[in-house]
Amino acid sequence: MAYPLQLGLQDATSPVMEELIQFHDHTLMIALLVSTMVFYTILTTVTSKLTNKNMLDSQGIETIWTIAPALILFLIAMPSLRLLYMMDEVNNPHLTVKTIGHQWYWSYEYTDYKNLEFDSYMIPTQDLIPGQFRLLETDHRMVVPTDSPVRMLITADDTIHSWAVPTLGVKMDAIPGRLNQTTFVVSHPGVFYGQCSEICGANHSFMPISVEAIPLIHFEDWSTSMLAKI
Amino acid sequence: MSSMFRMVGKQLKTHPSLIPLFIFIGGGATMSMLYLGRLALKNPDVSWDHKNNPEPWNNIEPNQQYKFFTVNTDYSKLKKDRPDF
Repeated sequence: MAYPLQLGLQDATSPVMEELIQFHDHTLMIALLVSTMVFYTILTTVTSKLTNKNMLDSQGIETIWTIAPALILFLIAMPSLRLLYMMDEVNNPHLTVKTIGHQWYWSYEYTDYKNLEFDSYMIPTQDLIPGQFRLLETDHRMVVPTDSPVRMLITADDTIHSWAVPTLGVKMDAIPGRLNQTTFVVSHPGVFYGQCSEICGANHSFMPISVEAIPLIHFEDWSTSMLAKI
Repeated sequence: MSSMFRMVGKQLKTHPSLIPLFIFIGGGATMSMLYLGRLALKNPDVSWDHKNNPEPWNNIEPNQQYKFFTVNTDYSKLKKDRPDF
């Protein structure tokens, strides 16, 4: 989850997010190197006492500074496209979960076998118990099994929302009248948080998402107990 | 139109460093146009012939690759366990 003064991405909990972090590090490194070189060049040019009034053009340097940036962009584009196509692949999901964005809560439906449906409201700050996270906890978590491809079908009931969990590398808009699909795999058990990522009214900042990943052998216990409770 | 090309050709003789520029920009534009053409003609979401093939997205096989590039999935190895219609 996010922590104060965080600068980078959250640690990955899915293989896709690990790839995204690697790509981000690769691209950011290139961007920092290019920026440093440009800054150094400008600095030395501006502070130099040398003057040459006869230098008009140079074919050599123009060729170099055309080919080198094109090569650098190619080296960024290749991993980018590979990752883009990889994220789009269908991976034979073990489970399908439907989530509907409302003003201002998410509802989840597990309808593969029985009809399990529940709403997930944020726990208000005054009702938090010590140890819980402000603006991130919900009364019911979306529970999924670990190491299992999960298909998410996302839509909305009223305005546009967006279902996002950064540590899983997932973000998909929830649009009324449209069903969006995304998939993810949770690598290890834990609780992972996200927040609604599309402005949707007064309580847009107060409809978080919390995903709890548990080993598959315990998943059926949870779904049975939820069906009994709801 | 051809006088424009002749002018550019003359400038290229005195400034050969512009040739890589033409190669990269021309190549990029060509690749973009080719990909757009592929999308227009081969993407199952696009319907050209409303009479004979009005909904091409209904005709994709489960083991048919319609994307340009696959990383991990080998579509020819996928099981075809659905009935034909």
